[in-house]
Order: sequence, then structure tokens, then C-alpha cells
Amino acid sequence: MTEYKSEPTKWTEMSGPVQGGRDTYQTKSWNPPKHTWGPYTETGPAKVWFAEANATNWTESMICKAKDLFYEAKLNECFDKGDEVAIKIHYGEYNRTAILRPEYIAAIVEEVKACGGHPYVVNDTTLSYHTFNNMATSQYQMEGAIRHGYTDATFGCPVLIADGFSGEDDYRVDLPEGLILKETYIGRAIAEADAMIVLGHARGHSITMYGGVLKQLGIGCQSKRGKYITHLAHWGDPHDAIGWPKFTDQCPGTACKFHKMCDDSCPRNAHKVFEHGKQWFPEKCRLCYSCQVTCIFSGMTGVTFEENYFPNAMIAHGDAALGAMKCFEKGKVGFINHAIDVVPECDCFPWAGLAICPDVGLFAGKDLIAVEMATLDAIDNAPVSPGSVADEKGVKQGEDKFRLVNGFSPRITMSAGEKIGLGTMEYDLVNYEPVLTPENAQKWQVRGAGHKPTTVRLRETFHRHDLATEVMPFKRTEFNKDWVWNEWKKYDPFKGETPA
Amino acid sequence: MSELTWVDNQGILFDNTVSHKIRRLADTTEATRDVSEGMRVALKINTAEQGYPYGLRPGFVRVLADIAWKATQKRPIICDGQRLVDYWKRSRGNNFLETAGEAGYTNETLGGHFSINGGFSGDEGELFPCGENSDLGGVEVGTAVCRSDALWVLSHVTLHPLFGISGALLNGGFDCLSGRARTRILDGLNPYLFNGQRISSEDRKEFQLRALESHCAVRTAMEDRVYYVNYLWDITPQPEYYPFSEAPILNNLGFVASHDPVALDAATYALIREHAPDAARIGNMNFEEVLGYAEKVGLGSLGESPEHLS
Repeated sequence: MTEYKSEPTKWTEMSGPVQGGRDTYQTKSWNPPKHTWGPYTETGPAKVWFAEANATNWTESMICKAKDLFYEAKLNECFDKGDEVAIKIHYGEYNRTAILRPEYIAAIVEEVKACGGHPYVVNDTTLSYHTFNNMATSQYQMEGAIRHGYTDATFGCPVLIADGFSGEDDYRVDLPEGLILKETYIGRAIAEADAMIVLGHARGHSITMYGGVLKQLGIGCQSKRGKYITHLAHWGDPHDAIGWPKFTDQCPGTACKFHKMCDDSCPRNAHKVFEHGKQWFPEKCRLCYSCQVTCIFSGMTGVTFEENYFPNAMIAHGDAALGAMKCFEKGKVGFINHAIDVVPECDCFPWAGLAICPDVGLFAGKDLIAVEMATLDAIDNAPVSPGSVADEKGVKQGEDKFRLVNGFSPRITMSAGEKIGLGTMEYDLVNYEPVLTPENAQKWQVRGAGHKPTTVRLRETFHRHDLATEVMPFKRTEFNKDWVWNEWKKYDPFKGETPA
Repeated sequence: MSELTWVDNQGILFDNTVSHKIRRLADTTEATRDVSEGMRVALKINTAEQGYPYGLRPGFVRVLADIAWKATQKRPIICDGQRLVDYWKRSRGNNFLETAGEAGYTNETLGGHFSINGGFSGDEGELFPCGENSDLGGVEVGTAVCRSDALWVLSHVTLHPLFGISGALLNGGFDCLSGRARTRILDGLNPYLFNGQRISSEDRKEFQLRALESHCAVRTAMEDRVYYVNYLWDITPQPEYYPFSEAPILNNLGFVASHDPVALDAATYALIREHAPDAARIGNMNFEEVLGYAEKVGLGSLGESPEHLS
């Protein structure tokens, strides 16, 4: 080679292709854990800002309050001007209805941009989960995201998959602090960001019992490899079933009307139905949940989970969340929980049950565990919604709703998370109520502070071209005196009587 | 039906628009020959770098995306890899999508799922062999390409400082690889031959050979279900990855398509030479040699003349 060639400016750290095998995987690559990562709160309770889910004027719109909380909780200080800021959300399974409305995400993107950050919205691919999963490949997940209204156009920034087209674009993070996991794998769009704002939809979850901002990290930031390890794949002996699907003697075999769907559910052909049950090939299994979830979704009990699996998975996803946090300097991650549409199951379900309580509100802060605890306590203290699964199970206001609805208390995760340095379970709740002033009313409108109000702009338009006066007087029929004066009064809720 | 067809840029009318021409080209060359309902088709395009003003019009891609959608009843994947070398130091996937969006390449305009071949980092790929007697052995093909069932290579034809012409052979091979694989093929060469940068003919030839070998790997990955369209439109002296370009070197010539990338690029080169005799000087090309070697490694055959439609 001659001397005049210059060095490539990218991928130069790789002297050749990555060699195979886990011992050499990424050993020559960039190491994402930051030296200064660590729990945001060092002593005492952490502050969590709260805005209730109700509105009676401009300033109390939930979108406006989300923007206010962003500044009250100083999430704008999580990043510097020019920083690449990942906005982590859940893109939602196809046909899911209880997802976070796009406005909440757009609102935060707008403020990150206003503060000089460079935002992009991310989610990782998932494992297969069930036969008709929509989120396991980038293409399918983006088609679903677009259907939910999650697009570049609605958010005003790129919307992408964090772990690549196939879910293999990741970094390994070592976790010597982990209670179960000692490593995990984080999507590169997250690991390479300078800062992250996590927008959680607070609701239930079948495996972790509850899903908020911590689950956005513990599962949502994990690449496919990260999800496999967090699922506890191949943990323990197959007979213990902790890290394996549990095949029961309840499987009706080919008599089950879902047996074809069940056979199709495994992306590795690790099980096959026969006349009276299921044949399982553990050497092929990697624990993606597909067989278990497909069976359970179908109302059957042939493939399920070992009972102690769930608390262990909850602890493991706390460990995995730490893996995501270690990719950022201390204080570079902010959290907002949206306790809205608090349904019993995860956004990765292709449907939504009735909310277990009325909408609660928004919680914001920089301490992950404190934000989660404030959210959980508020959900528990909310009334139980009639007709919901919580109501059916006889849950009372003030009780641990997700424990009673889904099986285990989410405080297992929070306690484990506190132990490994994710945050503190103690919090001081700051109740935020916007003040109605002319300035505050205008602040977050489509043309905010410093702009002409819509009416003033229309005044100029009407001055040039008055579309109403131009065609006046409007033609009207002779009015019906019975209806104008009397008939409608029968429907007056205070004075009238509804006609039979 | 013809293996190799050229639809020119003449006689444009309300019922013979560019869209009509591209559709007729796809029909004539049996674009959907290797695809069927339910298959995932990846359309590999060239998205322009910031500052390059002659990027391929999204509408030209959309016509073929719609054809792929109709044939498969599924939204196609439309993809491109991150830059050969990141001129503006905006290598992250979000910046890539922003730049593409500014040029009008979005899900909505392209009519498919627009994604980064190789993921956010550009490094997500799978190793495929380049064939026997290959110097490279194997290369990592980007995941948006290699995880699809068929590949349509839609190339904006320009001159290329290292390869001669950016067309089917380059876009369907080297440009389909992961970033790390392209770095290996580049082997330290600077692809920006301006501001005093130069390259020896020996290094250029080595790069060309490696790039052609990598095309064999892509075809292996796709099990030869590959279809190529060359857009002879705004044929600029600089390729799309440059942060600028001078004016096109000749008038628009139309579109050429084939399942054979060697025949296609040979026809493309012949058309450029016919209409811009000094193109070889402008691009300092040795493209006949490239075509000869491409035939030798089994990527296709030379000698066929295109059927000419207007």
C-alpha cells in the first residue's frame, strides 16, 4: 500500500471481522460502561414530581403538564446541547390499543430539541413471544409502530429500532453487581446515546407483574441476546424448569384445536405435538416464551412456567436494567411514568384489558426506583375500576393491585433494584399543579410564547377576506317554534322528563 | 420478454410518463420472476449524503416498491447502508435517517419500510462466502438484505472514483455489506478523491476485485434471487456518498434493467460512452476491466445488447 492513503474515519477500531465465540465476542470493541455511572440519589429520599390525570383548562392538559414536569424534574439537565438523546418508549404490539398516545412522546421530543438536544425515538426488537408476534423483526415492529402513530412525522425526529434490523446490533455489558445476571446485551442505539429520557407506560405485566420505566430498561433496552439472558434462558436443570418452559401433562396433543398454532410457535422447532401431548427438544430451546405464551393466550395449560420463575425473572430484569444504566454517565437518564390506561398486561400484548384503576397521572424524576415506587403507591391508592380484572378478583383500594392481579408484588423488583444501586425506594412526592395565567395558558400551545394567538392571526385573515360576511345573511328555514321553545326541554336533565 | 432492456427518456407524454416507463421496464424484464406472495423483498437504493444535490427521486423508487408490494402482498423493505466513510462524522443511525428524510426518503414517500442495512451501527451482518479462490473468503452482508427473500438493486448511476461506475455491480455487492466488511474491502483507501487525494491504479484494481468478490457473497445470501435496475438519470461525476457534486455529465438516458448485473452495467457503460464520449476521462475509469473480471468471477455475461423501448 502506498503512503498517501488516509485513515478511514469509522469502524477503524475493528482490525478485522469479529471472531466468533463468546470469549472473543466484542472483546476488541468499544466498552460501553461509563466510569461515572451510578445511582442518582446518594442519601435520603429522592424527589419525584407528580401531576394528576385531570384537566379543566389549557395549562392542565396532560401534554402541557408533561412538558412542565420535564423542567420541574430537571430532565432538561440530563443532556447538554448537541447531545444525542435516545427517547425510549415501547412501540406496542400490533392490535394493541392501550399504548402511550403519540402526543406524550412528541411533547418530550419537542422540549429535548428546544433545549439543544438531538433526539431520536427507540425501541428494541423482542423475542418471538407468541405465534403472531409483530415485534421480533424490525420491519414488522415498525409497521406496527406506524399504525400506532409512532412516525418521524408525528414525533419530528427519527424513529428507529435500537438493536438493528434483526436485533443483533448490540453491546455486551458486564454486570458484576447483578444478583442473578453477570452480563447483558444493550441495543447500540441506546448504548451509543449520550443521554436518555425514558417514557414509561405504567401498567401490569404477566412476567414482571408491573411494567413502568424500569421495565423499559430491563427488557426494552435489551437486544435479542439481552432478552434471552434476562429470560433466564438455560438457567438451572431442565427438570427444575426455572429457565425453561414447563411442559405439563395437561396438553391434549393433537386433540387441541390450537395444536398447529402451538407447533408453529417455536422459531427453533424445539417442540412438536403428538397424539397425547408434546415432545420437547431442550437442546434447541432458548426460552423465548413463544410456546408458553401461545398456549396461555389460547386458554390452554399444556406449556407454562415454573412457579418460582416469576420472582427470579423480576430480579433478573432489574439486573438487566442496570446494564442499560451503565451505558450512561450519572444523571444522564431521566424518567417519566405515565399512569394512564393502567391495564393489567404489557404493551407487548396484542389486545388490552380494561384498566384496573382510573388514570392516575404523570411521575417524573431522575431516580429510577423512586419514580417507580411513587407510581406503584399511587396506583395502589387509586380506586378499583368496575368491571376490570382487579374488580373481578375483589381487590380493594389501597391493596397491592399488581400482586393481586398478576401474582407477585412488583416491590420484589424494586427492592432488588435498590440493592444493586438502581435507586432508592424512599421518595418525596412533589405535587405539581400549574397556575392558570395568560402566560401559562399560551406557553405550550401550537404557537407558544412570543407568537400571535390564533384569533389575532385570523383577525388579519378576516380583514382581507371575510368568508362569513361574504355570504350573509345565511339562508334559514322558518324555525319550528315547538322545537326551538319547548320540545328540547323534555331532555333537560334538571327540569325535563325523558319521553317514554 | 427480454433479459436486458433499456427504456429511454424520449416521447414523454401523459400516458408515457417516467412511471409508465419504469413499469414497462419491470414488465419486460420480469422483475417479479423470483418473487411470490408472502415473500420479503428488499429494495437496495442509494441515499444521498448531505450536500449531494442530485439524489434519486423517491418517486422513481416508489414505482418499483409498489410493484414489489403488489407481487408479494407485503410492504417491501427499502434499505441502504451507512456511508462508505462518514464524511460529516454523523455516523449514527439516527443521523443517517435524518439525512435520508431530508432528501425525501421516508416510509410514506417510498411505500415500504425504510431501514438501515446493518442496523443503527451499520455493523449488523451475517458472513457469507465469496466463492472459491476468493481473496476475501467471506464478507458480512447487511441484515436488511440477507434476511430478505429477494433483493432488487435499484442503482442511481453515477461515476465512481474507485469503481468506475456506481451501478448494479457496486450497489448490489459492496454497498450491500455491513460497515465493517466494507472497511475491510476498502483496506485503508480514501474514497474521497478530492482535496488532493489520489489513488494508484494498482490499489484501485485491488479494490475493484474485492468489491466484485463481495457481490458473489450477496448473490449467495439471496440464493440468486436478485433483480437490478440502473437509473441513468442525473449521471453526475461524483457518487451519492460524496458531500457535493458537479453537474451531470450528460442528459438523462432513461432506465435499464436485467437479472444479470454484468450485462446491465456493460449496457449502462456503453450508453454513457455513446452519449458522453469523454466520460472515461472524467471518471478516470478502467471499467472495461471491471466488467471483464465480473464475468470471470461468474456474476454474469458480457455481450448482450439491450432491447430498446421508448
